[in-house]
Amino acid sequence: MIGVIDYGLGNLRSVVGALGKLGASAELVATPQAVARADKLILPGVGAFGRGINNLRERGLDAVIRDRVLTAGIPILGICLGMQLLASQSSEFGQHPGLDLIPGDVTRLTSDATGERVPHVGWNTIRQIEFSRLLQGVSENAYFYHVHSFHFRPKDETAAVAECTHGHAFCTVVEKGHIFGAQFHPEKSQRQGLQVLTNYLAL
Amino acid sequence: MTALSKRIVTVLTFNNGVLFRTKLFHPDYRYTLNFVDAWSVDEIVVLDVTRQGGTGAKEFHDAIGGFASRCFVPLAAGGGIRTLDDVARFLDSGADKIVINTGALQRPSLITEIAESYGSQCVVLSIDAKQTADGGYEVYADAGSMPTGRRPREWAQEAEQLGAGEILITSIDRDGSLEGYDLNLSSQVAEAVGIPVLALGGCGSWAHMQDLFSNTSVDAACTQNIYHFTETSIRSAKSFLSKRGVAIRTE
Repeated sequence: MIGVIDYGLGNLRSVVGALGKLGASAELVATPQAVARADKLILPGVGAFGRGINNLRERGLDAVIRDRVLTAGIPILGICLGMQLLASQSSEFGQHPGLDLIPGDVTRLTSDATGERVPHVGWNTIRQIEFSRLLQGVSENAYFYHVHSFHFRPKDETAAVAECTHGHAFCTVVEKGHIFGAQFHPEKSQRQGLQVLTNYLAL
Repeated sequence: MTALSKRIVTVLTFNNGVLFRTKLFHPDYRYTLNFVDAWSVDEIVVLDVTRQGGTGAKEFHDAIGGFASRCFVPLAAGGGIRTLDDVARFLDSGADKIVINTGALQRPSLITEIAESYGSQCVVLSIDAKQTADGGYEVYADAGSMPTGRRPREWAQEAEQLGAGEILITSIDRDGSLEGYDLNLSSQVAEAVGIPVLALGGCGSWAHMQDLFSNTSVDAACTQNIYHFTETSIRSAKSFLSKRGVAIRTE
């Protein structure tokens, strides 16, 4: 069972809908017990980092996610805010610790020099820079739907497997062993996005 | 080098639960949901323009749910939103973003409330503007029926400060006219803010989209007219724009 973690943030329906279209059996998991039953996890989410990590903590989900991913080796895919929550910490509206599944920090996109609009909203091309299991079969220069103001900087640069440019280059896909994150929304990125989810389901 | 694509956005308006094209902000032409090209469009906006006391709320929410499960693109929805409870209902139906207009004019703090609860990316402020005798523009509330004395530029800037994530600027005068976007209005608003701006009203040809993208820094061209969303038309618009050097997502 694919567990889509429900921690009270954002539109989970489209993630579950996309997984359903791909024939996966996906369930919303909102309790530690339910998270522990999943063979594979997806951490979606939009909104602010502080609220995201607090919601996970209040529901007792942070510890069980860490335990399942780090001890039991269950794969996890973080999407958008969910990717950022994989990091050690974020500086969005104050300092907040993250799940620390991939060491690194989350900082604001800087666009002062180029005048790009922030938040970065819309379809942008990504470029693969390291081998990636998540991006198998994805076309070169494929467009993905991004909507965010902050970005993940993994400490280990080889974990940044794909980047995108908005004002400056930033990591848009992070991958370390069985831990994955996409800054864009695969569930909102048409065929190329469904390919990413297909790859995750096939792991 | 990567480049942020300009967006082609389909806007669908519902009145009493029925999908209509509008002209000068009045329902004009009825059609069905099946024409939306779910693969080429970059984003879908659905608006309930039913006047107070009207019906069709259930049909409207069912339509949002239908798009959410069939179309793997961002979905924005709005119409009559006044409170966070309204917002929650729209999000539960499957919307990714909330479009607010009159509710924010009546109570600007609504923008901040939504941004704080769901993030700025969730708040699209829709501004309906009409040209004034002196060549400027005025913001209208209540589906274009109520002058507010506000100027679209200043209202867009205030909304950005309050936490809006995107601005949808609509020319009431051009609605349904097929005469092209109001480039002056679109440009004024796009230059006034640092958040993405979507323009609506007047698109009658692919060249109008090109005019919009070449002459303004607007991020998205919105269109409401049926022949823009038949099975191949968005693809054809994109191919037209792409050949003319506009950064556009094609598959």
